[in-house]
Amino acid sequence: MKVSLKWLEDYVRVDVPVAKLVELLDLSGTKVEAVIEPGKGIEGIVVAEVLAITPHPNADNLSLVDISAGGEQERVVCGAKNFAVGDKVPYAALGARLPELQITERKIRGEVSRGMLCSGSELGVTKDHSGLLILPGDAELGADVVGLLNLNDTILDLEITPNRPDCMGMIGVAREVAALLGNDLHIPELSSDPVPVATEPVSVRLEDAQGCPRYVAHLILDVAVGPSVGWMAARLLAAGVRPISNVVDATNYILLETGHPLHAFDAQKVHDRSIIVRRAFAGEKLTTLDGVERTLDPADLVIADPKKPLALAGIMGGASSEVGDSTTEVILEAAYFEPGSIGRTGRRLGLRTEASARFERGADPDSLMFAAARCAQFISLAAGARPSVQIVDEYPVPIARRHVTLRPERTVKVLGFEISARSQAEHLRSVHLVVDEQEEILDVEVPRFRPDIEREVDLIEEVARLAGLDHLPSTLPKGGAGGLSVHQSAERTLRRTLAGAGVEEAWTSSLGSSADLDAMGLPNDHPARNMVALMNPMSEQENRLRTSLLPGLLKAAAHNVAHRVEDVALFEIARIYEPASDSRLPQEPLILGGVFTGHRRSKTWLDEPRRWGFFEAKGVLTSALGGLGAEVSLTPTEGAPFHPTRAAIVMAGERTIGSIGELHPQTCDRLDLPEGTVVFEVALGPVFDQMPGKVKVSELPRFPAALIDLAVVVDETVPAASIETAIVAAGVPELTEVKLFDLYRGEQIPDGKKSLAYSLRLQAADRTLTDEDSTAVLERVVGALREKFGAELRG
Amino acid sequence: MSDAQDLRAQLEALRAESIERIAGTENLEALEEARIRILGRKAPLSSIRSGLGKLADDERKTVGQVANRVQTDIETAIQQRREVFEAAELTGRWERERIDVTLPGDEVPVGSLHPLTRTMWEIVDIFVGLGYRVADGPEVELASYNYDALNFSADHPSRTPQDVFYIEGSDEQVLLRTHTSPVQIRTMESQPPPIYVVCPGRVYRRDEQDPTHLSGFVQLEGLAVDEGITMGDLKGSLEAFAHEVFGNDLDIRFRPHHFPFTEPSAEVDVQCFACKGRGGDCRLCRGERWIEILGCGMVHPFLLEWVGYDAERYTGFAFGMGIERIAALAHGVNDIRYFWENDLRFLTNFAGLA
Repeated sequence: MKVSLKWLEDYVRVDVPVAKLVELLDLSGTKVEAVIEPGKGIEGIVVAEVLAITPHPNADNLSLVDISAGGEQERVVCGAKNFAVGDKVPYAALGARLPELQITERKIRGEVSRGMLCSGSELGVTKDHSGLLILPGDAELGADVVGLLNLNDTILDLEITPNRPDCMGMIGVAREVAALLGNDLHIPELSSDPVPVATEPVSVRLEDAQGCPRYVAHLILDVAVGPSVGWMAARLLAAGVRPISNVVDATNYILLETGHPLHAFDAQKVHDRSIIVRRAFAGEKLTTLDGVERTLDPADLVIADPKKPLALAGIMGGASSEVGDSTTEVILEAAYFEPGSIGRTGRRLGLRTEASARFERGADPDSLMFAAARCAQFISLAAGARPSVQIVDEYPVPIARRHVTLRPERTVKVLGFEISARSQAEHLRSVHLVVDEQEEILDVEVPRFRPDIEREVDLIEEVARLAGLDHLPSTLPKGGAGGLSVHQSAERTLRRTLAGAGVEEAWTSSLGSSADLDAMGLPNDHPARNMVALMNPMSEQENRLRTSLLPGLLKAAAHNVAHRVEDVALFEIARIYEPASDSRLPQEPLILGGVFTGHRRSKTWLDEPRRWGFFEAKGVLTSALGGLGAEVSLTPTEGAPFHPTRAAIVMAGERTIGSIGELHPQTCDRLDLPEGTVVFEVALGPVFDQMPGKVKVSELPRFPAALIDLAVVVDETVPAASIETAIVAAGVPELTEVKLFDLYRGEQIPDGKKSLAYSLRLQAADRTLTDEDSTAVLERVVGALREKFGAELRG
Repeated sequence: MSDAQDLRAQLEALRAESIERIAGTENLEALEEARIRILGRKAPLSSIRSGLGKLADDERKTVGQVANRVQTDIETAIQQRREVFEAAELTGRWERERIDVTLPGDEVPVGSLHPLTRTMWEIVDIFVGLGYRVADGPEVELASYNYDALNFSADHPSRTPQDVFYIEGSDEQVLLRTHTSPVQIRTMESQPPPIYVVCPGRVYRRDEQDPTHLSGFVQLEGLAVDEGITMGDLKGSLEAFAHEVFGNDLDIRFRPHHFPFTEPSAEVDVQCFACKGRGGDCRLCRGERWIEILGCGMVHPFLLEWVGYDAERYTGFAFGMGIERIAALAHGVNDIRYFWENDLRFLTNFAGLA
């Protein structure tokens, strides 16, 4: 809502500096988004009349315009087309100033231009820069445009919260300002009574009194449609509304002044001057003022005559009854429509107007007579018309004013500072609520322009904002036993561990599409294909909820590689979304994903460079999950998106939690990532579930441990993990630890074989182990491995 | 000259000669050789001592004492000389073993926590310190939790599919939550008061992306419901938060506002930390002196009634803030899309684990 201070002062005296007013508004709940001084930097722009327009000899899209600002005739080169000889336009003479522009004589395509004609946007009046700003016809030649358009004004751009429809009009804002400044509110008085005319009145029939509880109609005769008077046109312009004609402008002016939308019909196009408010028939068609033919729905409320719909109630008028140059009789509508219905129709049609925005939030049914009468008065003044004395007011069930009770001590209890009942009552009265101070309570009668006040807490809010929230003390509530849950702590530990291992944390979008899965080469029956789809995505690339963290991480990796940051290690801990068969809401498991490419460490003076590969990534994963106490194991797997022989299922205990592997080279290629990029993705829920509880410490051994090394030669195809499992399963009670410390292929090892060397730690609780013990263990383990894998002890 | 006198003279001569000899040695080997020559079994001191037997008892005793003193003196001289050589040798060793400590160490590459994580943790920790726990709720949410339970009317304009992502086939009953506020309802439904929780999480709106808007972003909600909670408690709590995050010397102010689920409602501004509230041509606050950081208010009784709490007995407050906005303000990031690009040149600014 743009509020001109000059206009505002019609209703309330503003006797504080602008900065103070801004602060008062801000701190009472009406945020001032911007303070605009439209005339700032504009100087020497005057009213000129267009005398002649001739084409520019050297440029089709330019013309030479002869103008006069009352003095000598001047010629300027102009690119606009929207004006005609006789129009009044803003003329920036030589030496004039516009913001960031000083006018000098220029040659444009070979023709001298002595000055410039201005558009609305150049003057900061409108956003329109497609053509010149056409000034009111009665503007005096040579007059200063800044003064004419009231640009030497201050405009406050106010953010009006949705609960305050009353502040969508000047009078409502003035009521607030009056309360804040402690000054009186002056509501304009209606002048002399309308002239009685002997004519058949308008008839109004409310077929849907719920959708339209009240309808006021004025018949205005002998209307001469023409341009508005200058001051009104200027105020509309300053408020960003394009002047159209004296009739339409008057309705728009009343909209801005009272916040109440009005509509003018050409009475001669309304059959029988008979207005019917009803729901639309299914499939009924109406061409609205914007020229769009709209198919109506029985939920839509329309204004109709006995033959046809005339307007979309509260949203937009219809083209067939539009007031035009030939209009001589006008039916002026001031109605109150039920907010929900207006909102539904507006949303269904995707149509939101100044009028519907106000009806949607709740207009004031009590303001209709005033709004209509004042508008009729403007029309009669501007268009020489005669308003009918017979005002039709259909209001079958008057809407009672609401009474709300406030317990002053409840205010204190909610806000936390002392404020007397008397002072609460005064604050409420300052915004024109009617307060009856009774014992213990305030009985508050709420005017209809405050639909937001429905219950006690609404009054508490009113007291709070008017008393000022700066009265709030700074206290702290009791609080509870704060802290993180075990799982929340574990998640933090995991993030820290991963970052500590040299992996950067990423946050990627939850939205994606099936194309992401195509890029990963996932088959059509892959479980990740079962995605939650959005009804109204913003793009095809983000039309579903992700079922994997990998697409986002891979895109992030590719982004970095494309920016020549080629060493990338990223992890993300976030949710994926899996449709659930037994619930309207999907499952949202917490997942850890990682992507690794390039160098883990570059070459240093101490060491050779080290690249990210399968085992580097695996080590990060197993040590991070191991740090949470999970027993992680891998078994080989095949299938997209992985390299056929370099991928594994990840298990925590007995549960499959995800997978890890090198990406398939083709996948890397599709994603613009180097071959050998490694990814993993695991579910964290099962890992957290398996976290050990409190650790119990066993007694420290009293006898020294024995270490034995053992190297066995086995077939290449034997997985290392199965050898380890077999060693453990060999039944050596003293065995406490098995560690692979060497893998060797080459000399002395036959083709197709490999040598694996393990270090075994043995510990007995009751004695020091002897060489004989070690030998026995060795024999037992080797025996088991020989039996199971045909392993041979390497000499 | 008696035997005793002779022996004494010999001893004195030996001492002088030996000390001179020791002083003349050049290294440890020469010193050892000298020691054997002087104190060894076949050395002069031994033969002098063996001559003591010929002396009378009293003479033997006094000459014996002289012999002991001479031996001690010689040994002392040897020891002193040895220490000189040992010191010199150590000095040489230290020189040979000198390293250039300014060479780079064997660093372990350390990654970084994302600035959104860090900011979230920082805020969560402040409230954990004030006695809050962390609550959680689904991102794909029922419209009834996202709107109805939060006192949005059935026709509230914010429900429009222009602004909200609805799930296909749900008849606009399931959506991507537009705020973390539904977690308020889920938490209250799951337990009786008192409640002190914060709920960080992703939320979604159909905003065109620009430097200050994203279609998916992160919010943090706070909720306190207890007997006797006042709006002053809300102010004190948020002041504690703002001072911790933005600095102790900055004021905060409450500006009345409107949200369907709180009443009274307010937006909270913190004094601009670039200009310390001086305004002028400050680029951060554009001269407004204040920077909006969050929305808050007293829990609307509608919500308490919805979950079956006694709205007379219990009051509460709630607040919600955008993590990107707080992080951007705290770290001077002028385009919040950076937070979601995962460009390592950006992320590595936040190296470390704190």
